[in-house]
Amino acid sequence: MWECFSVYFLPCLWAFCACVGFGLVFNIQGRGILICGFGAALGWLVYLLSTRYLAGDIVSAFLASAVIGFYSEVMARVRRCPVTGYLQVALLPLVPGAGIYHAMQYCVAGNTELFLSTLLHTIGFAAALSVGAMLITSLLRALLPRLHLGGH
Amino acid sequence: MDHDKLLNLGAELGRRLMTSGAEIYRVEESVERLLSAYGADPQVFAIPTCLIVSVNTPDGHPITRMCRIPAHGTDIELLERCNELCRHLCREPLPLEEAQALVDHLEPDRRQFSPWVLLLGYTAAAAFFSLFFGGGLRDCLAAALCGMAVGACLLFGQRFTGSNVFFRTLICSAVAAGMALLLVRAGLGQSQEYITIGTLMVLVPGMALTNAMREIMAGDIISGLTRTAEVLLVATAIALGTAIPLVFSSPF
Repeated sequence: MWECFSVYFLPCLWAFCACVGFGLVFNIQGRGILICGFGAALGWLVYLLSTRYLAGDIVSAFLASAVIGFYSEVMARVRRCPVTGYLQVALLPLVPGAGIYHAMQYCVAGNTELFLSTLLHTIGFAAALSVGAMLITSLLRALLPRLHLGGH
Repeated sequence: MDHDKLLNLGAELGRRLMTSGAEIYRVEESVERLLSAYGADPQVFAIPTCLIVSVNTPDGHPITRMCRIPAHGTDIELLERCNELCRHLCREPLPLEEAQALVDHLEPDRRQFSPWVLLLGYTAAAAFFSLFFGGGLRDCLAAALCGMAVGACLLFGQRFTGSNVFFRTLICSAVAAGMALLLVRAGLGQSQEYITIGTLMVLVPGMALTNAMREIMAGDIISGLTRTAEVLLVATAIALGTAIPLVFSSPF
């Protein structure tokens, strides 16, 4: 029980709080900021669960970003807002910030091999995130033209 | 219809969308839809630093307007307001003067947080990201202090850090790493790595990298490559900045 709490619940709670902080910086007003936080927590939960059962973190990143994409699209349609804000903030915990940072640290230290492998992994991770989110966006646009309340 | 005014309306709305941090395809699509709703046949081209809108008048005279887009952050409130106005104008095109007045009021009338709330945002983001990456409670407190320092540099330190994104990032990450080092030495923090990475999440261009990838996937190759170059530049600045305090502290 305690393991479940500390492995799954706590990181999602921290992701929620951190993303609400970022929401303030991005000037998200009103209830939207809580929606972004829930999206971030949901995405991280999916990522944690899928890294446990699937091999490779890039596949998990793809799955998590697809779930975040779906959640943000639905929320954007319900609230009739552009999807950008929800998607950007909810993706934050997954975004490979630490990867870029470590890669450039190796680069500055002159460790070319580690630099290249970390950089390639980071780019793959970012590509998986963007493909996951884009895929859901395109699918929903194709499948639900009538429900496109957020559109023009 | 006065096509000069129409072009101005489209370009001004597009410029505001760009400075609010909207994606390229959204800017191009919105301006195109807006001008089409008024019966024009526009050509729109946008890259992260520039927006070009062109229409033909009914007697065949082509007119073009170009806007240079300055460096900008993300402002979701402005983005939502622009989008709402654009949708409203597409549904029922108002007279051009009224529409232009509405566009002019977008920016001054939007709700904004005060700098202190923004500072709180930076503090919370750094503190909780250090917990998120596995730091303890004391690391969280230390990261909160570092995040506050970085936020203060970003919000109030314009005069000292300049407007160049490379040097601003370099100075901010040097402040973050230096503070983390001092706080660990002083006994407040435990793990310097968790504190530093948590704080750097505020600066790290991970979001920009993912956006760059999304733009490449969406077909805006030039914008995607521009943003990728910017990501590499900022990431280098962060790595150099964090290296400075480490280099100077190693003799002690």
